[in-house]
Amino acid sequence: MSALSTLGLAAGSIIERPLRSLLTSLGIIIGVAAVYAMLALGEGAKKQVEESLNSISTRTIQVWPDWNRRRSSQSRPAMPFTEQDVKEFRAINGVFAATGTLTGRSYTIATDTNDVSANFLGVDPDQLRSGGGEMKIGENISYADIETRRPVVVVSEGIQQRLFDNQNPIGQTVKVNNVAFTVKGVTTKPDSNISFGNDDLFVWAPITVARERVIGGNRFVQNHVNNLKVVGELGANLDVIEQEINIVLRRSRDLKVGAPPDYRIFSSRGWQQQAAEQTKSLSFLLAAMGAISLLVGGVGVMNIMLVSVTERTREIGLRMALGARKSNIMNQFLTEALLLCVLSGIVGLALGFYMSKFAMKSMDVTLVFSPSVALISFGAALLIGVVFGFLPARRAAGLNPIEALRYE
Amino acid sequence: MADHASQTPLISCRDLTKIYKMGQTEVRALDGVSLDINAGEFVAIIGSSGSGKSTLMNMLGALDQPTSGEVRIAGEEIGRKKSKALADFRNRTIGFVFQQFQLLPKKSAKKNVALPLSYRKPKVKDALERATNALSLVGLADRADHKPTELSGGQQQRVAIARALAGDPQLLLADEPTGALDSQTSKDIMALMQDLNKRGITIIVITHEDEVAAYAGRVIEFRDGKIVSDALRQAA
Repeated sequence: MSALSTLGLAAGSIIERPLRSLLTSLGIIIGVAAVYAMLALGEGAKKQVEESLNSISTRTIQVWPDWNRRRSSQSRPAMPFTEQDVKEFRAINGVFAATGTLTGRSYTIATDTNDVSANFLGVDPDQLRSGGGEMKIGENISYADIETRRPVVVVSEGIQQRLFDNQNPIGQTVKVNNVAFTVKGVTTKPDSNISFGNDDLFVWAPITVARERVIGGNRFVQNHVNNLKVVGELGANLDVIEQEINIVLRRSRDLKVGAPPDYRIFSSRGWQQQAAEQTKSLSFLLAAMGAISLLVGGVGVMNIMLVSVTERTREIGLRMALGARKSNIMNQFLTEALLLCVLSGIVGLALGFYMSKFAMKSMDVTLVFSPSVALISFGAALLIGVVFGFLPARRAAGLNPIEALRYE
Repeated sequence: MADHASQTPLISCRDLTKIYKMGQTEVRALDGVSLDINAGEFVAIIGSSGSGKSTLMNMLGALDQPTSGEVRIAGEEIGRKKSKALADFRNRTIGFVFQQFQLLPKKSAKKNVALPLSYRKPKVKDALERATNALSLVGLADRADHKPTELSGGQQQRVAIARALAGDPQLLLADEPTGALDSQTSKDIMALMQDLNKRGITIIVITHEDEVAAYAGRVIEFRDGKIVSDALRQAA
């Protein structure tokens, strides 16, 4: 008996009992769907972790004054950071960029014909790299600009659009607080993961110029900056960098051993890893569900196949009398179980695919659809068919034709 | 029997013994049976239940193997064959007709008839055509696409006979072929068998009814696992 006719036989047997076949398939369908969703979710989590480990936002450490501390009347207010701190950060091993920013309130940025309200920041050249942005046209703020107090600015794309009608603004003049600046470059938006507020409208000036001519100095320290940002190189150990930052800051503000710091260090990698962990545990839950469902489904298949063998005992006896070998009978029932599982597997895959898509939309988790994921979950269905189809098939093949023919 | 002595018999049993173990007790279903049946004969094997006739039929049908002794069918020794070889042997050599017809209820008559051919090696390409031919041999060519449930008992047994013939066997083995039929239909079926025998097909019928045995050219009677009589007779 050829493989094709065995397959036809199995298909016929499944079609002849549609309701039973469907109910039997249900466990496998759900199992495969869950396994598929689990794998897609797991792949997604893996990708998420990989991406977050590489993205600039995960490698960023921000340092802020400890605002809570300033409110306490017993302690002195937090010391502002200085450009010197930034310089020392930049010298730490494994640091990709270190920048100190001077932030003011919102300023009116004006041309002769137009004006817009925007964030005006005093920056150093590392501001660009630490934000993950790029120069669209023109040049970045340079150390020479800072040194020589050149009145130049880099504007955002949003400013270019609002003030210059998307024309090239290089060489144009903008006024901030009645100080005239020459536009020397346009920058793209920084990495969205670390942006806050309305980041589309901003103007960068050399930090010295911004401090001396627009924002104003600090009465406690010279060369102050408001916040600090340090970005590690790819693969750099952020914990070590964080320790170094602590050392630099404790020294610069002369903190005694054991004294609490008047600043706080934030890094985002903690919660991103946590998010990845959560996705992992969700995928583990799905895996457990899928495994149990497949197991129960497999037992269901075995049960139904045993019933089928008993029901068709006389048919088996007849086939044997007519010349079917044990292997023919074995193949017939094994193929039937396998086909049932394969069909369930296909339906399960489709179900899993749509379930995953739905989950992705509604639950904000990342899923990856790959052929290997589909293959593994499909393989699981196949394996179930073989494993749980084997016992009934062997029972069928082991029947004695004489007794089977007489079976009532 | 003398006129057949010169030719090699189709079936040859020598000192055939079959012992079943039922719990502690041993049952001698066949007890030293020796028997020759030639090609082209129409033999009825009769006896009451428990006489050993069914055991003999299982042996002649290569469904079972003897405890001791020899069964030779078409020159092949059944007792030494493995399960796989027995299956192939049955498929080629024997055509079975059962009391309960044993048709697959959801398949058409034609497909039922073609069933033994599906197990034959090498693959039979014109199986459905052969099935149709076999159906016309039993006068059911026009019922080829009917399912068994749409046929009468007699028609079903004809389909079963066609199925037995489809594989071109050397021997047709019928176990109580009329047991589930009324007397008129029984007569038709036996007449059909007689007709097939006249075309040269060797037929062995197992029965407990003398009316059925009357159609055969030779009647062998069994009692307690032994042959008590073996007589040629004029066909009715």
